[in-house]
Amino acid sequence: MLGLSIKNVSKIWNADGLNPVPAVSNLTLDVAPGEFVVLLGPSGCGKSSLLYIVAGLEKATSGSASFDGIEITEPSPDRGLIFQEASLYPWLSVRDNVTFGLKIAGHTPVKRAEAAERLLKLVGLANSGDKRPHELSGGMRQRAALARALAMRPRVLLMDEPFAALDIQTRARMQQHLLDIWESSKASILLVTHSIDEALALADRIVVFTSRPGRIKAEITLDMPRPRDLRSPEMIDFARRCEALLAEEVEKAFKEQELA
Amino acid sequence: MTDGTVETRQDGVGRNMQQKPRNPGALMRMAEPLLWSLASLALFVGAWEFAWWRGWANPLLLPPPHIFLANLPDQFRFFDPSGARAGALGEGGSIWSVLGVIGWTALRVTTGLILGFVLSLATGLAIRYFRIFGKLSLPLVTMLAPISPVAWIPVAVFVFGIGNPPAIFLVFIAIYFVMTLATLSLIDNVPRNYIQLAQIMGCSKRQIYRHVILPAILPALFVTLRMNLFGAWMVVLIAEAVGVGSGLGQVTMMARNTFNASLVFFTMTLIGITGFLFDQALRLIQRKVLWWVGPGNAGGL
Repeated sequence: MLGLSIKNVSKIWNADGLNPVPAVSNLTLDVAPGEFVVLLGPSGCGKSSLLYIVAGLEKATSGSASFDGIEITEPSPDRGLIFQEASLYPWLSVRDNVTFGLKIAGHTPVKRAEAAERLLKLVGLANSGDKRPHELSGGMRQRAALARALAMRPRVLLMDEPFAALDIQTRARMQQHLLDIWESSKASILLVTHSIDEALALADRIVVFTSRPGRIKAEITLDMPRPRDLRSPEMIDFARRCEALLAEEVEKAFKEQELA
Repeated sequence: MTDGTVETRQDGVGRNMQQKPRNPGALMRMAEPLLWSLASLALFVGAWEFAWWRGWANPLLLPPPHIFLANLPDQFRFFDPSGARAGALGEGGSIWSVLGVIGWTALRVTTGLILGFVLSLATGLAIRYFRIFGKLSLPLVTMLAPISPVAWIPVAVFVFGIGNPPAIFLVFIAIYFVMTLATLSLIDNVPRNYIQLAQIMGCSKRQIYRHVILPAILPALFVTLRMNLFGAWMVVLIAEAVGVGSGLGQVTMMARNTFNASLVFFTMTLIGITGFLFDQALRLIQRKVLWWVGPGNAGGL
């Protein structure tokens, strides 16, 4: 089948050691091509672990993840990853950062320059190609990271709390920006967040996680058009539902910490 | 901080270095460190001269600067770039011979530093890249690292005889092991994100080392080199006194043997100034060539 398919995946950190930490437990989730899925859950519930498994950077302890029917065993440019921090390479210009993957793939300098121009324009950094990463603001850096991921024409974008380090105004703009890019790129997006508003603004489907070890607690499908007014009665209703679901899990996590 | 164009970054790194500050404020900012250096030096010289004036410092044993800098041609006589035997007056006598002697010493330091930097970087990368090589050689490097370069002097003389090679070898030894260990620690501290992103974009192991790890560690490794520069200077002087027979170290040793306190302090002055200029030169290279600063790097240095 096409798209991303996660079947009965469990992840236990330090599985052979004295203190194994179960992060994800027996989780099954499909992401259709072009779908925007948001993983919502309390901190440390294993959402990021799942993302790393899908990226191919970590191996599942049991179960399997596959993409277009092929099992994921290693990282691939098909599955772009965006971290909370932009992690641009400080020794490269913004332009060279964006086209780093193309250079590795052996594209000619001419092709790379064309791609850089197109991508920088797409993310609104047309005039910043020659700058160094440290000369950009946090939001601009994250846009450059987005351009770098898009350069590889990924089939799915994995985003690990990509806007968590940004201020609230920048965040809102970046979310809108991401939606525009998503609609034009036709890639699937799997985005991890602990912000209910972010989930509501972006997702086709919200997957609410339990506290650790992460399991799926609820799935909420949102089929209203974007941009969405988060203050409409309908959206406030959704927000309340999410809040209630999360509150239970946060409560559970606190109790567990008290016992430990 | 209102002066300067919008484009100019305050710390003046990167390509903006080419934009020379044109207004008085920027000029003052550039001159300020120099003024502090001069004030620092003046304070020291002043205290020394004061001690001499009050009769606390015996001018025969601790001649103050105005004495050992008084008769420069007299001091110049002892500098012979061709390397005269200790105690003898060679062909020296002009400012050129003094510069020649400094030049030889500087050349030995530079060669040793370059060799040490390149080879320690290569060793460090190889230890992490080739697992078995790493396991075999890391214990050895760690065991050799604490041995003082002074202990290597006999080895250097046995193997290389008298001349430039033992001095260069000792400078090399003084930084090689420390810098190899520094390289390893820097490689281990390259942010995981950097490497994971490279993997996602399809880098092979070799490409990760070439395109990510190497540029990520170079600036901090260069800072380590600068920190070890003074150690290298100390070692080259010892090596010259013992195993070369020319250079600033040899002049110092000759001054000691002939009880020429003025010459001792004059040579020490030259060594101090040259070392200072070396550090400045390395700073300049660092700023121009290795301007980027990653997380965890000692960016302030």
